[in-house]
Amino acid sequence: MSGRSDDMPVDYTVDELMVTALAAHFQDGDQACNGMASFIPVAAFMLARMTHAPELIWIASSVGLEPRPKRIPASTLEAALWSDSVMYIDQYTDFWNLVLNGRWITKFCVGAAQIDCHGNVNNSVIGDDYHRPTVRLPGTAGLADLCSIGKELYYWHPDHSRRSFVERVDFISGAGYLEGGDARVRLGLGSGPQAVVSNLAVMDFHPVNRRMRLKSVHPGVTAEEVRAATGFELLLPEGALPETAPPTRRQLQLIREVIDPDGLRRSGFRIRGAS
Amino acid sequence: VQEKTASIEKAVGLIRDGDVVALQNMATQAAPMALVREMIRQQKRGIGLVVLVGGIAVDWLAAAGVIDRLIGAAVSMEQFGLCQQYRAAVEAGRVRVEELSESLLNARLGAGARQLPFLPSRGAIGTDLIAQNPDNLRMMDDPFGGRAVVACRALVPDVALVHAHRADRFGNIQYEPTAMWPDLAVMPYAARRVLVTAEEIVDSEILRRHPERTVLPGFMVDAVVEVPYGAHPMSFFPAYGYDERFHLAWTEVSCDGDRAADFVERRLRAPRSQPEYLEAAGGEQMLARIRAPQSTGG
Repeated sequence: MSGRSDDMPVDYTVDELMVTALAAHFQDGDQACNGMASFIPVAAFMLARMTHAPELIWIASSVGLEPRPKRIPASTLEAALWSDSVMYIDQYTDFWNLVLNGRWITKFCVGAAQIDCHGNVNNSVIGDDYHRPTVRLPGTAGLADLCSIGKELYYWHPDHSRRSFVERVDFISGAGYLEGGDARVRLGLGSGPQAVVSNLAVMDFHPVNRRMRLKSVHPGVTAEEVRAATGFELLLPEGALPETAPPTRRQLQLIREVIDPDGLRRSGFRIRGAS
Repeated sequence: VQEKTASIEKAVGLIRDGDVVALQNMATQAAPMALVREMIRQQKRGIGLVVLVGGIAVDWLAAAGVIDRLIGAAVSMEQFGLCQQYRAAVEAGRVRVEELSESLLNARLGAGARQLPFLPSRGAIGTDLIAQNPDNLRMMDDPFGGRAVVACRALVPDVALVHAHRADRFGNIQYEPTAMWPDLAVMPYAARRVLVTAEEIVDSEILRRHPERTVLPGFMVDAVVEVPYGAHPMSFFPAYGYDERFHLAWTEVSCDGDRAADFVERRLRAPRSQPEYLEAAGGEQMLARIRAPQSTGG
């Protein structure tokens, strides 16, 4: 394969860009697992393992170690995803013996209804009254644990809007940097939010005040558009604002033909222009 | 040795109104759905449901007015979306939710299983789950001088409901190698009573061929009922996958209270037996579909 054809511009869609932008954060030796409805992270793990990070360790559905699924199935929590594994982590307590130990499962991808300026996330309730919420969301599942036990957290969100990117979440279902600054460290919580990959941009967190900061904008998106779609003052990086690297031809071929020919990575996206 | 086989009516008859009932369940996986339908048929009331991750069963139990509180980490049908009847019941104040993270629920049940007052966890520190739930969760200092932990108060369900691949008539429960959601290692051990459905009830000699696959001892089990496809429409690996069409038939009506009630009446309450229920759900054609390799990861 010549490198040249890989460098030529190619047509891609934003879901594919989110997969490659997320995959870039996963390297050989990292350990990752996935929960339900996690098509973008699963596609990113599979892509990383087929390209730059063949030794990324992945526990599919938090059950199957080092699986070889044929393609992404309609659920990221069903047996088809963990087919051909080397081990079943069959009892749920065994999985938590791994996760609750800060040494294992080093990185986790977080999807949430609300993300705030300090990377706290909400999957529990919208509204002020916990017992009479405006919207009852699914609930935290394992997120609350994974966020508090020293994992590196990578957020993905397919609908960057003022509704989802808020100054302060209505309910903290997963701890980010809490009130910012050293609040997380003072509580004894290690690591924490590293990056946010949305349909508009990639963000990180300011190393001192721990507020969300623009890191790169996706091609065709301006910083002003991202800031307008964000419900809080999004910090800008010092110096030039780069563009998110677009997918390569080889990455696109793998995503479309091998990893996710059924296009499940697109579920959860609001298509621009559609009502 | 005491025999534990029972009819499904008799087994579910052991559940009293107001009981705390722990349900084996993940989003679209492994729930004892025949027991759930029988709870609806018997019009149980005031049930507190304990579930790691609830799915369509929670939606049905909410629609049928069986549950008035839920202790769990999440309720979702994954790709089939939110459980709308459950959601409406919570938003209207008809179902009260004690939301726990998975490690906190495991700790509460683990303490219940070992008759401890509580077990600590380091999960969920910094979240609003803890301040929201002072009756059952408290931050406490490490008596040995380390970092503070969350004390998770023991939870002892009145009844645990489990579905298994096979059992003998003494209630020894066996599983094929697969994911044992949501953790047979803790939940049934915490409960006062354990009710089991199994795909088949076999002679104990068959269990003896693979004792390593026996996951619950018969002496813990109060009733065992043979129910083929007893997890339908959930998946039950490696035997069968979830029934997509049945889930879609539910989500088609689940936003509308009247249509949801009609579904509960016709599809869940009216069939008088498991074969009758399965026949109405598509019969042998449907069963062949959910047994297909693409459904079971084979």
